Amino acid sequence: MKKNTFYLLCGCIAVVLLAIFWYSVEIHSPLVIEIAFILGIVIAYLARKKVTDLIEDERSAKITEQAVLRTFQVFLVGFCALSIGAVMQLLTVPQFPPTYIADRPKELLSPRMMGYFQLFFFCLMIFLYVGFRIYYARKYGEWETDEE
Amino acid sequence: MPENTGNGRPMKNKIKVFRAMNDLTQEDLAQAIGVTRQTILAIEKGKYVPSLDLAFRIARHFKVNIEEVFSYD
Repeated sequence: MKKNTFYLLCGCIAVVLLAIFWYSVEIHSPLVIEIAFILGIVIAYLARKKVTDLIEDERSAKITEQAVLRTFQVFLVGFCALSIGAVMQLLTVPQFPPTYIADRPKELLSPRMMGYFQLFFFCLMIFLYVGFRIYYARKYGEWETDEE
Repeated sequence: MPENTGNGRPMKNKIKVFRAMNDLTQEDLAQAIGVTRQTILAIEKGKYVPSLDLAFRIARHFKVNIEEVFSYD
């Protein structure tokens, strides 16, 4: 399989997954998109193994490695900050004078809010990864012009 | 700016010279040693310091010692 055919296949998988996502929303069944997502990744992985052109060498592997590492480091800070907040909610300390539940501030991390936070972190990871990838690709001469 | 090699001294190389001597394009060399042309370009420009394995492959391709191709500034 040629490199461009593989990229085209990845695009098709993404479009199909998007369609399945909205179908899954419509029928209120998260299992459909979950299974489809795993299948999509497996198909892309198997197709990648059949690519005959060279698409990765040690420099591109290093770019990916550095981008993933930095994304993970930044993501970890945000995730830990959120987790500390969640742990604090578990550790309720008795107050004086005692407060009634109704008077207490609303919980920040309700299940619905957790969903929004997950969505936020998911988007953050994508933006961070793309940003770091561009930075390291530039650093390691991805778009260097040639005098040949 | 050349990539830092870890000891603060930039690495220089003579790949371009050896390519010219052997009448090879970047694409030819890249294909011969199994990397992308962009990697050869990045190494030549000092943007990327190759691994020991790749450095040896390059030197062996030109049938010279590694020190003749790569050296510290």
